[in-house]
Amino acid sequence: MIGLGYLTKEGIKSVWNNRMMSAASIGVLVSCLLITGVAVLLSLNVARIVDTVGKDNQITVFLKENIDDVTAIQKIGPEIRKLDNIASCEFYSKSEAIVKWESELGSLFGELQGEENPLPNAFHVAMVDLSQYDDTVENIKNVEGVDIISDRSDVAKRLTELNILVTKVGAWLVTALGIISLFIISNSVRMTMYSRRFEISIMKSVGATNHFVRTPFVIEGIVLGLISGGIASVIIAFLYEAMVSAVKYIVPIKEIPYSELAFQMSATFIIFGMIIGAIGALISIGRYLNMEGGEILGW
Amino acid sequence: MITFTNVSKVYPNGTKALNDVNINIEKGEFVFIVGASGAGKSTFLKLIMKEEEPSSGFITVNETNITKMKRRKVPYLRRTMGIVFQDFRLIDKMSVFDNVAFAMRVIGAKPKAVKKRVNYILGLVGLKEKAHCRPAELSGGEQQRVSLARALVNNPSIIIADEPTGNIDPEMSFEIIELLNEINKQGTTIIVVTHEHDLVQKFKNRVIEIQGGEVISDSGTVEEKAEVPIEISEKELLEMHSDDENITDYDENEIPSSRKIVTEVFVDGEAGEE
Ligand SMILES: Nc1ncnc2c1ncn2[C@@H]1O[C@H](COP(=O)(O)OP(=O)(O)O)[C@@H](O)[C@H]1O
Ligand SMILES: [Mg+2]
Repeated sequence: MIGLGYLTKEGIKSVWNNRMMSAASIGVLVSCLLITGVAVLLSLNVARIVDTVGKDNQITVFLKENIDDVTAIQKIGPEIRKLDNIASCEFYSKSEAIVKWESELGSLFGELQGEENPLPNAFHVAMVDLSQYDDTVENIKNVEGVDIISDRSDVAKRLTELNILVTKVGAWLVTALGIISLFIISNSVRMTMYSRRFEISIMKSVGATNHFVRTPFVIEGIVLGLISGGIASVIIAFLYEAMVSAVKYIVPIKEIPYSELAFQMSATFIIFGMIIGAIGALISIGRYLNMEGGEILGW
Repeated sequence: MITFTNVSKVYPNGTKALNDVNINIEKGEFVFIVGASGAGKSTFLKLIMKEEEPSSGFITVNETNITKMKRRKVPYLRRTMGIVFQDFRLIDKMSVFDNVAFAMRVIGAKPKAVKKRVNYILGLVGLKEKAHCRPAELSGGEQQRVSLARALVNNPSIIIADEPTGNIDPEMSFEIIELLNEINKQGTTIIVVTHEHDLVQKFKNRVIEIQGGEVISDSGTVEEKAEVPIEISEKELLEMHSDDENITDYDENEIPSSRKIVTEVFVDGEAGEE
């Protein structure tokens, strides 16, 4: 491409020459990227927690007292497995249960083994999709011989709901902030174009192509986006650590280490910033390219 | 070289700027366009540069009907023209050198070619010593010569000047027209809008008078006026009509020999002044 070096230099120069406006656009774009980033990180973490909670927190389905091992394994087990959304369903006999209780609580229950065992037979059931939790529980309850179901996955259920909310709010935020960023960048580039309208009019009168007139401004937009993406990448790392320790102060969680996310996060910020920058610039440029001579100068 | 056929121009606000104008300007002519303020002179030039579109009629430049020209071709049309404005239109924050170089850079010339060509052209207009000055440090006449250098730097086949002497004192005005005359002798077509009758009378060039948007008199093509015969090399002709962007590869050796005469004339001229 002809003169790209010259055009790039011009684009970068104008970021510096308009540093007030550039700083303002970078500020807004960085804020937008950070808010978006926080929403994404929050959602990723909630998803991860839901995943772990969901995995080791299978529900326990207790059977009616009069159900013996054989009926449970041959009849009720297969019936539960036939239902939708069942990931696994393992038999957990009352004798297994009492042994486990004993190992944890001592021989207090020694005399309760065998015929005296007061515990019911049970199944450990895990679901495929926790968002269908209620329906699945209802279906299991309807199986003949099922008594009650322990509700330990409630946390996971709540978290899943939260995750859906975070994703939805995040999507809206990204859209709204994307539009604001576009507006800000296009305004910044419009200011540059206005301050350089004299040069633009000369460029056009000596026969510069539209491509040539346009490129430095697109580069300006891209550079603004690049800088914003870079700054946001650095800030989000600190912000994430701060957020994690604040949350950990209230509830113990095991967060995703930032090192696992850093590369993708930074790359996304920078690419997103550059795209917004380029589009923002193009929005402003069209108007000037359609004007001629004195019109550009406002005469 | 330039023809207007039944050209009228009505601006969107209803102002009738030109009315059924027919003009034919031959290649290598030097034409003065005269007329009172508001007569339509600038509109005439803007139509040639395709800054404005005629409301009716058609215009050809270099045997091309520019009325039907595609938008993206307009920049290449403008590269065949050098434009000089009354108010110089120099960029304050750039040096004289950069102002002239700007015109080459924005059509994609290579830095090496720019340096060579700009220095050559600044010599041509007698401003080599002022290359690193800012426009504000120059007199009006010098500023207009910078503007002229910028118009010349891309080796146009037509120079269009809208009241180039309007903002400078009479002596300097004479110098500018003299300079344009020298350039004309090398075969460049020149169109100068002015309302200074004194100036027009000093030069034996074709004069077209416009009044109220109509051509009211035309002295016609001046047949023989040049002491130096107009000779254009085949190479220069090719350059004038070339539509590509390769005006970038100027080389001192590629400048037609006829142009070198001009350099000498003006280097002498400069020396004589001091
Ligand atoms: N862009 C424009 N819009 C409307 N009217 C215009 C415009 N440019 C020029 N005019 C009008 O057209 C007429 C001719 O203008 P112009 O060509 O500039 O005259 P001159 O250069 O001879 O002084 C004038 O009446 C002027 O007011
Ligand atoms: Mg005028």
